[in-house]
Amino acid sequence: MPNYLLLLHLTPPTKDDLTNMSPEQIQAVIGDYMAWRNKIQDDGVYVASSKLRDEGGKFLSGVNGDFRVTDGPYTESKELVGGFFVVSAENYDEAVKISQGCPHLKYGGRIELREIEPTP
Amino acid sequence: MTPAQTSQVSDSLDHLFRHHAGQMVSVLSRIFGVGNIDAIEDSVQDALVAALQKWPFGETPDNPRAWLIEVAKNRLYDRLRREKRSDSIDDETHELIDLHDRTRDTHFVGEFGEDELKMIFACCHPAVPPDSQVALTLKTVGGFGVGEIAAAYLAKEEAVAKMLSRAKQKLRSGIRFEVPAGDELKPRLDAALRALYMMFNEGYAASTGEALIRRDLCFEAVRLARIIAGHPVTASPKVHALIALFCFQAARLSARSDDRGDLVLLSEQDRSLWDKHMIAEGIEHLRRSATGDELSDYHLEAEIASCYALAESFETIDWKRILKCYDLLQSGRYSPVVELNRIIAFGRVNGAEKALEELSRLGENYLMTSFNFFHLTRAYFLAELRQNERAAEAYRRAADLTRNDAVARFIQKRLAEISKIS
Repeated sequence: MPNYLLLLHLTPPTKDDLTNMSPEQIQAVIGDYMAWRNKIQDDGVYVASSKLRDEGGKFLSGVNGDFRVTDGPYTESKELVGGFFVVSAENYDEAVKISQGCPHLKYGGRIELREIEPTP
Repeated sequence: MTPAQTSQVSDSLDHLFRHHAGQMVSVLSRIFGVGNIDAIEDSVQDALVAALQKWPFGETPDNPRAWLIEVAKNRLYDRLRREKRSDSIDDETHELIDLHDRTRDTHFVGEFGEDELKMIFACCHPAVPPDSQVALTLKTVGGFGVGEIAAAYLAKEEAVAKMLSRAKQKLRSGIRFEVPAGDELKPRLDAALRALYMMFNEGYAASTGEALIRRDLCFEAVRLARIIAGHPVTASPKVHALIALFCFQAARLSARSDDRGDLVLLSEQDRSLWDKHMIAEGIEHLRRSATGDELSDYHLEAEIASCYALAESFETIDWKRILKCYDLLQSGRYSPVVELNRIIAFGRVNGAEKALEELSRLGENYLMTSFNFFHLTRAYFLAELRQNERAAEAYRRAADLTRNDAVARFIQKRLAEISKIS
């Protein structure tokens, strides 16, 4: 079964938003994500997940045999990839169905879904 | 889930972060000084936000509490250093930090309990205005957010934030982080218990705020009272009486309103919804309150609450005993609101007619005539005497004075019943 990569894009919340969240609200959000992760684990489709550091990030590009490094991803867009999940699914339809349950969508984020080319 | 289980769950899982937040603020106040309360609260928030950003992706630490406090402590350390106040972190504090590191995993509960106790006393210090003590305690020890406190009080968030910042100024003005001792103990313990009593009543009152958050206030008051009762210096019969009172009242919370949020009269409540664990805990604390020779108002109120909670049915409630407790309460410090409750018990013992006579005497107090429950009580006894027109008039006056939707619906229901009979 092929694997799918879920890239969780989000617009970073403002400092004010984060300051005003109560412990109870924070717990509720974390709880939502955990419940979803537990569910896809129970369903046997969870493969991996990781948080990507919000701070830092670099873009590298080759220029005439040399290379250039710029700070990113902030310079490119206000949106950033907060982290990713990998799930296994028969096809895109099924992968979409799995992703739909991700609370990331409920909290205003976007999910980029890509099939990982299987190694032969 | 059975109702019996809910109180335990709401204690452990439901408000994990809230409790963590309160414990972190308390333990950091001990280590870094309660004068740094603003930096402490900010750092605790940092730690919770760090969890919010990391944990959804599966990097949940084995010991979440230890992880959170470690992050909060480091952020606070950085923050204080950045504010060039590192000189305020003296050797003793360094020592405390080391000690804290060593004991982190083994003595969490006991250690936190004492820190939370000291934090309660700091928030209820006489220097803090009494009307801000409850909000400050909810914010710091309780881990409630400003929005949640505002919802419970039906107040504006800005107003609550302003009140809290004024109260925190007092915390910064040299209040000591301690369990009071000697002559100071009694008045300060009384002040803390009064604040918890107010916190509970704020949650229990049917007239204000959002139902869910008010419920949380009740259980928070119970949790904090348990902390006071759990410390050898502050445990006293009066504290046990207060917890007994809380337990008996809180046990009936889920039966007090139906699925639509409508009020359910005590006589019509489904007793199988009462929390039996809470009632058992109430009995235990009532037993422990019966030592010593002080008979506090909390003792009397706890006994009244026990009469309701322990009666087999509404019909077997011991109204005589309740009336006696109210008489004793009123002989101490008279209150017109308590008088209203006394008259209800009086009416159950001596009949509706005599109760109405007492009510008209109480009605000479002009404050009472603008109190909806006064008219509700009159209507109740008038309806019992089948004086339906006068009862309907009293219900309508109560309705005019009611701003709470649930109470308003309750009154309309009674009015409809009366008009059906007559």
